[in-house]
Amino acid sequence: MAKGVRIENIWKIFPPKVVALKNINVEIKPGEFFVILGPSGSGKTTLLRIIAGLEVPTRGRVSIGDKVVVDADKGMFIEPRDRNIGMVFQNWALYPHMSAYDNIAFPLKLKKLPKEEINKRVKEVAEALGIADLLNRKPGHMSGGQQQRVAVARALVKQPDVLLLDEPFSNLDARIRVTAREFVKEIQKKLGITTILVTHDQADAFAVGDRVMVLRNGEVQQMGIPEELYDQPVNVFIANFIGDPPMNIFKLPTTHELLKKIGVDDEIINKHKEVYIGIRPDEAIALEPKEEGHLKGTVIIIEYVGSRKYAKIDLGNGLSIRALLECRADNGDTVSIRLVKVHVFSETGERITTIRF
Amino acid sequence: MKKLYRFRRTGLIGSPFKILILNIIAWIIGILWITPFIGIFMTSIRPFREVVLYGWWSLSPFTFTLKNYIDALFNPMFSLGRGLLNSFIIAIPSTLIPITIAALTAYGFARFSLPIKKYLFATILFLMAVPQQMTIIPIFFLLKDLHLLNTYLGLILVHSSWGIPWITFFLRNYFSLLPAELEEAARVDGASDFQVFRIVVLPLAIPGLISAAVLQFAWVWNDFFFALMLIFDPNKMVVTQMLPRLKGQYQVDWGLLSSGSIIAMLAPLLIYGFFNKYYMRGFRGWAMKR
Repeated sequence: MAKGVRIENIWKIFPPKVVALKNINVEIKPGEFFVILGPSGSGKTTLLRIIAGLEVPTRGRVSIGDKVVVDADKGMFIEPRDRNIGMVFQNWALYPHMSAYDNIAFPLKLKKLPKEEINKRVKEVAEALGIADLLNRKPGHMSGGQQQRVAVARALVKQPDVLLLDEPFSNLDARIRVTAREFVKEIQKKLGITTILVTHDQADAFAVGDRVMVLRNGEVQQMGIPEELYDQPVNVFIANFIGDPPMNIFKLPTTHELLKKIGVDDEIINKHKEVYIGIRPDEAIALEPKEEGHLKGTVIIIEYVGSRKYAKIDLGNGLSIRALLECRADNGDTVSIRLVKVHVFSETGERITTIRF
Repeated sequence: MKKLYRFRRTGLIGSPFKILILNIIAWIIGILWITPFIGIFMTSIRPFREVVLYGWWSLSPFTFTLKNYIDALFNPMFSLGRGLLNSFIIAIPSTLIPITIAALTAYGFARFSLPIKKYLFATILFLMAVPQQMTIIPIFFLLKDLHLLNTYLGLILVHSSWGIPWITFFLRNYFSLLPAELEEAARVDGASDFQVFRIVVLPLAIPGLISAAVLQFAWVWNDFFFALMLIFDPNKMVVTQMLPRLKGQYQVDWGLLSSGSIIAMLAPLLIYGFFNKYYMRGFRGWAMKR
């Protein structure tokens, strides 16, 4: 049954002195779909491998349910095979010399279950994942999406306490990716299994995650539900990393006139020399020039993104902003920009306040 | 995996000019390599007189005969057939034993950490450079003390221990090219270290194992030196020891000698031919990074 995962004070140092993880603390609830999101080199895969037992932490403790699986300070370590976890690897790591059936049956055979039981469970899981007709094929004769399903089936067939997914979508092309995400999310909800997914892609993270943790250089930047990360980024890194198209971020001296236009508090202006101003393209709306707005500028470029249009707008003083275009405008036209929300970050990048209009 | 290979292939083949040059070089090497063999073959299927008078390359007169082969195989003094049998008795275990042991050792070197692993491996490589002639005297006395001189077992043990280091080296490189993720997946799936090795690593390494086995078999089969020093009972002599005895006392019977050589060559040749596909794959896998 679903068990939670508790990660306490995890450090990982690769000798001589690469610090991959710095004091990670997380409590993952039973049945939760938890996503670890970060750019490459952030330590996210290392953390997943520590949970799996493929890597040993330098310091700290991991427990699955009530059972401690690794405690670096006490020198205690439980082998991956005794942790009852299922894992899907980035390239799926299917055994190329075995058929899909044998791949899925592999964990059960190792448990020495009776033949009929193995057969029944493999058929069941294959049925559930829609790969029942592929069981005789070898991995080399399957598409990426099918291989992924077999890998998920292999991870699920032994009814693990925790399912670990390491970048499971990154080898799929864009179209299959969307269905694969839905499929993983559906399976996860149906089985109620605690799932930890690692990805560098925020779209993956937000599509499937109940809760998302953002890592950068081995440090937790922010953890929360997707809306939180989007609406209340704790620092410039998160603000920049999350959201598509990316947030407009300006590094400005506090004497800059833009700050007065958007109404930043005098208190902040007096306290700081420089601040970062962050405005999401979706929260800056370009309207006809006669409409009332906070800023005015000239359209430089118009981009079509699906049903929406974004415009890059020159604000003068060498500043330009990407904004949602909600009026007729051509290159060179003047528009007025109405802001919905502005984030203000200190010179060290921490969020000071969010101004709503 | 496939993509990478294709990419390499196009890189190699490139322009028609390059193909021409490569072909010419390959043909030159091939002809140089095969000429002596053709010479021996021609000598073996013609009466000795003809070869001596006109040379093996002249085609007239040409008389085909199997007399040399029959003489060589059924020589009442030195039975080449017995030699072949002895060679098999020696070569088969001398291939299987070191492959088994070296596969385990190599996997250890490829995947497990050990405090002095680097030095240990360097020592193995270093000792591989020691020539046979330097080791033969201690080996001789060792076998004598073990009462294994002039026995099959003694020679098998010597060949096995001679094979283990290089096969270890060969297989270690092969194993470290296998994707580690497969082994990790197996560990998560519940396999013990030995199960990972047996169920996942070994089947994937078959081309490498076969390459090593073919080379080791050919090496043991072709060995003359160890056999010469360690086996002296004519009934236990291997085929390479029998060959020089076909030479004759006062004049060299080239016909007999060359037919004997062809017979002796047959076993390794057939094995190369039979396992050629795997053998090539073993080396191709070796040459490319996956």
